[in-house]
Amino acid sequence: MTDVATEETGFRSLADQLRSWDDDRLAGLLSARPDLTTPAPHDFGQLASRATVRASLARALDTLTLLELSVLDALVVAGQTTADDVRGIILAEPGAVDTTLARLVDLALAWHGRGGLRAVSGVADALGSGPGSSGLRPRSPDAPPAAEVETRLAGLGKPARAMLEHVAAHGGEADAGSARMTVSPADAATPAEELISRRLLVPLPGRRSTVQLPGEVGLALRGGRTTTEPVDAVPPVVTGERPARLVDTAAAGAAYEVVRRVELLLDHWGSHPPAVLRSGGLAVRDMRATTELLGVDVPTAALVVETASAAGLLSTRADAVGDEVFCPTDAFDSWLEQPPAARWVVLVRAWLASNRLPALVGTRDAQGKTRNALSPELSSYSVAESRAGTLAALAGLAPGEVLAGATGLPSLVERVAWHRPRRPRSRADQVAWTTTEAAVLGVTGLDGLASYSRVLVEGGDPEQALAALLPDPVDHVLLQADLTAVAPGPLESALARQLQLVADVESRGGATVYRFTPGSVRRALDVGWTAVEVHGFLASVSRTPVPQPLSYLVDDAVRTFGTVRVGAAESFLRADDEAALSELLHHPKAAALGLRRLAPTVLVSSTPVDVLLGRLRDLGAAPVVEAADGTVQVLRPDVLRARTPKDRGPSHRSVRESARVSAVVAAVRSGDRAAAVRPSAPGTPLTPSGALAALREAVETGATVLIGYVDNQGVSSERLVDPVSVEGGSLTAHDHRVDDVRTFAVHRITTVRPVEAD
Amino acid sequence: MPDGPLIVQSDKTLLLEVDHEQAVECRKAIAPFAELERSPEHVHTYRLTPLGLWNARAAGHDAEQVVDTLLTYSRYAVPHALLVDVAETMARYGRLRLEKHPVHGLVLASTDRPVLEEVLRAKKVAGMIGQRVDDDTVAVHASERGNLKQALLKLGWPAEDYAGYVDGEAHPIALAEDGWGLRPYQQEAAESFWHGGSGVVVLPCGAGKTIVGAAAMAHAQATTLILVTNTVSARQWKDELVRRTSLTPDEIGEYSGTVKEVKPVTIATYQVMTTKRGGAYRHLELLDARDWGLIVYDEVHLLPAPIFRMTADLQARRRIGLTATLVREDGREGDVFSLIGPKRYDAPWKDIEAQGYIAPADCVEVRVTLPTSERLTYAVAEPEERYRLASCTHEKVQVVRDLVAAHPGQPTLVIGQYIDQLDELAEKLDAPVIKGETPVKERQRLFEAFRSGEIGLLVVSKVANFSIDLPSAEVAIQVSGSFGSRQEEAQRLGRLLRPKTEGRSAHFYTIVSRDTVDADFAQNRQRFLAEQGYAYRIVDAEDLPA
Repeated sequence: MTDVATEETGFRSLADQLRSWDDDRLAGLLSARPDLTTPAPHDFGQLASRATVRASLARALDTLTLLELSVLDALVVAGQTTADDVRGIILAEPGAVDTTLARLVDLALAWHGRGGLRAVSGVADALGSGPGSSGLRPRSPDAPPAAEVETRLAGLGKPARAMLEHVAAHGGEADAGSARMTVSPADAATPAEELISRRLLVPLPGRRSTVQLPGEVGLALRGGRTTTEPVDAVPPVVTGERPARLVDTAAAGAAYEVVRRVELLLDHWGSHPPAVLRSGGLAVRDMRATTELLGVDVPTAALVVETASAAGLLSTRADAVGDEVFCPTDAFDSWLEQPPAARWVVLVRAWLASNRLPALVGTRDAQGKTRNALSPELSSYSVAESRAGTLAALAGLAPGEVLAGATGLPSLVERVAWHRPRRPRSRADQVAWTTTEAAVLGVTGLDGLASYSRVLVEGGDPEQALAALLPDPVDHVLLQADLTAVAPGPLESALARQLQLVADVESRGGATVYRFTPGSVRRALDVGWTAVEVHGFLASVSRTPVPQPLSYLVDDAVRTFGTVRVGAAESFLRADDEAALSELLHHPKAAALGLRRLAPTVLVSSTPVDVLLGRLRDLGAAPVVEAADGTVQVLRPDVLRARTPKDRGPSHRSVRESARVSAVVAAVRSGDRAAAVRPSAPGTPLTPSGALAALREAVETGATVLIGYVDNQGVSSERLVDPVSVEGGSLTAHDHRVDDVRTFAVHRITTVRPVEAD
Repeated sequence: MPDGPLIVQSDKTLLLEVDHEQAVECRKAIAPFAELERSPEHVHTYRLTPLGLWNARAAGHDAEQVVDTLLTYSRYAVPHALLVDVAETMARYGRLRLEKHPVHGLVLASTDRPVLEEVLRAKKVAGMIGQRVDDDTVAVHASERGNLKQALLKLGWPAEDYAGYVDGEAHPIALAEDGWGLRPYQQEAAESFWHGGSGVVVLPCGAGKTIVGAAAMAHAQATTLILVTNTVSARQWKDELVRRTSLTPDEIGEYSGTVKEVKPVTIATYQVMTTKRGGAYRHLELLDARDWGLIVYDEVHLLPAPIFRMTADLQARRRIGLTATLVREDGREGDVFSLIGPKRYDAPWKDIEAQGYIAPADCVEVRVTLPTSERLTYAVAEPEERYRLASCTHEKVQVVRDLVAAHPGQPTLVIGQYIDQLDELAEKLDAPVIKGETPVKERQRLFEAFRSGEIGLLVVSKVANFSIDLPSAEVAIQVSGSFGSRQEEAQRLGRLLRPKTEGRSAHFYTIVSRDTVDADFAQNRQRFLAEQGYAYRIVDAEDLPA
């Protein structure tokens, strides 16, 4: 490279422009268009060519806003031009256009060619007639100045003008029928000829009677702009007013509720894991059971299930007989240890990043089959982006502003669609799902974003803000004579678990109502509590005296329950019942156990615990094992846990990606240097990818190249061609030898050599 | 975060912490729309039901008030879905109105045309409606007034009845307030009823529901049909009416199994009304025998199904229901709402007790242990025999003796289910017994003697469960019951709750055999007592002070 090209002077090719960028700017491009990095391109030529492939362009366009698409479209209409010119033909704030142009260049969707700023080839096709497209044709290369076009328009007769406007409104292309293509304005006999003669419609090259409306004429018809509506007007969201405090309390109420539901569900599934369907989902029957367990409808239950799964709290494992079942992961246990606000954050972050579609659970697919929760096909690449977009739009509202009743949601859809107009088609659904799900999860309340969710959306940690809104955990209950206990708020986790053991939960919500029954008390005894412990526990958690009927109930349950307990710590036996020990001690068959009375209620034995246990049971005792620290080891139904799936969280992903991006940048540079020092020996066979890159570059620059080509008969020849496009493995180019457009198979092209233009 | 006394649960229960300083205020505010389910010592449970909300609408409360009350007193965030549900449910009441039309007679009118269209297309309503009067009005066959209201309630669009009532045959009735007066709550109850047109008054046992009935009759000044549960109760109504009103015995007729008189005020039993002969109700003509101006339903929660059907045809007459509880064990609360009317007045048991109008009660469950021989018999008995065996153990006799001895000079009732057991007890205690076969005359004599203090101890079977006024009873000992009926428990306790001299509290003992179905059933009943706010204790028979 001898002459130093800049954006002012223009570059020979997109590859040249990329080559001139610093590493940061390149990294920016590769991060924004990650598909360019896989696999890592060899050099800038290949990078540039890959950036203009249709698929890559389509992906890049999908991430643009309506304004960006419109500006890009204007650039296509304008052809190679200056920024000033582009500003002139777009109905938008000039400042916004400048920023947008810069971004388009950064995304390698536009570049500074020698002839001015231009969109990369292929953009016009990729834009198609989708969002942002103005429907105008590119300006003719020899377009007359706007004033001249105006004059020509002014000279038209009424029928011709009407015809022109009809063509403009219907795709800009028309069949001229028998109209003569070469005719002077004076000779024009029909409106069509009148238009053709004034070059307001021009014949389409290569097509006999088809004419099209050149860009400059279309612009003139629209008053000099590509659109008649401003393209930088972001659609407003229709809102209503609600006190911010109410929004927060309503949302916090829901937030607390969802945390509670996840806990309830996974606790239940820990002991009653539902089977995994062969297709990978949760059976409809289990879904129904879940709705009953949680007391909610199917969409809500599905959201709870899917969110728990997304947060890594729920996974699958094989049960005792080897069937796959859903059960909580070990992460669930550590999740439980956290305060409710932190648990909520875990759930909601997972939901935000998840690509799952819980809203579709329970609906029927095209085959009429019910869609199951947790089934693999219930996901969409775009839903996480929709969620982020929706919440960002909501975060744009002032505190206290909420979506208006009927019109709020449609306006929100429009706003989100403005930011990503091209995809997906189900945007309206996805936005609606997001608002519903956000309300259930407590991200929003009364259709407004809660203050703590705003922190979350802005990238902060909402835990503190949410914790302040959640009810404080209470450490006591109110015991009542009707054998219920009411916890007037969320109980501390450990306390709640103990209470759940001794009593059955009757009603849940802000408060919890527990009911003591003989069965529930026996359950506590089964796990090793003694009467004294139960009484002590009740007395300690109750703020009021323990009602007499409750004490009576406990005693009554104890009365019918076994009294002997055995410790595991190096063989000791203790029991509240002296007689039972005496009986053991004096049992004729117990001699071998080496039992010795330690205290009236304690025996020790020289037999190892495992042997001792069996022997004691043979003797008819019902021992319970005690751990070294005095707590009881209990045999209770296994509670299953699966391993937490190694999720590639977004933070890991971004770190890894930025590392990857810089590696790619380095690789591209070195590859490029290597290519530069390699003697460009003419005729050196190229790899297919090298050939592609060279051809794409030629397409970009409109250069003439000499290609080595092996034809159908295996005869090798050299052709001088002007490449027009490279698509689907074939090169379309104007062949100088036959002076016509021909198609060449890329894999048969052996060499590509630039020809110095003369 | 507001620190209110109320916690709103997502399952539509409301928990009210009674020790909270705002509790009284809050109770008053939520009582119109929430049904009190349980009222133990610390936390009362209310439930939001569609019927409760519609009752509130009928009483003139709107959804905004209800939501506002919940938000004002709630300690935590109120589940959004619940608020939406309240508003939606309440908005359903009154969209449809039954009205009188000058030309078409009875019509169903609506302010909301889609709702009208929806119900007109419902199968349940077909056949009850006549021609369309205009877009918002449709004629209704006058005879279907009750059935239509029932059907509309089932469809979830309860209609407000503005069609008015016939005055009925006038008959002067006045309260004779000599030496006594209506209690404030009775006055309020009678007036709420009268202004509401028809409806149900909920008052605890012993709170003087008969007087409310009499007051309602005094308002109506018309011939009255009173439907009661049984003959003894009918006699008591008669006595009470003679005592409390200007009516003379000649003006009051009894229509029962034995006597069939139709007078300006006629008291009929449910049983005679529902007696079928040859597949038809024989006594329906009573309903048309006179042009009744008022119909009184005693113990609405026990109203048998055929009476509901008859009531459906009586919609043009004023109706008052009297009951201690709206809860029906058969779940037909909706029929009471649509056929008799919404709740017009409600005062909880404990409140009236606190005002001194009913006596506080001390409830004790005494557990006896079956002797080994009886345990064995019990263990091998057929399941259907077990309850009888357990509850009739001889062990109970001694306990009853001890208890009677522990309350000397206090009028005591021994209540049981099984006649053999009662006969044995009567013999051992040397007390008269009243059972099903005791002639009504004899029953009345004994009750009178008990009332006057001539007899201090009476053994009674379940005939005494309902509506028998024994104001002097201070101690009740229950030895057996109809399984776990909470209804029966309420009624039996009610016998005791008439205010006592010197403000003494009543004693209510239940004797139960430990480790048997008897104890299991007893649990049901205790739960009911505890939920009503009565502190109860459980003691072992051995621990009783001898």
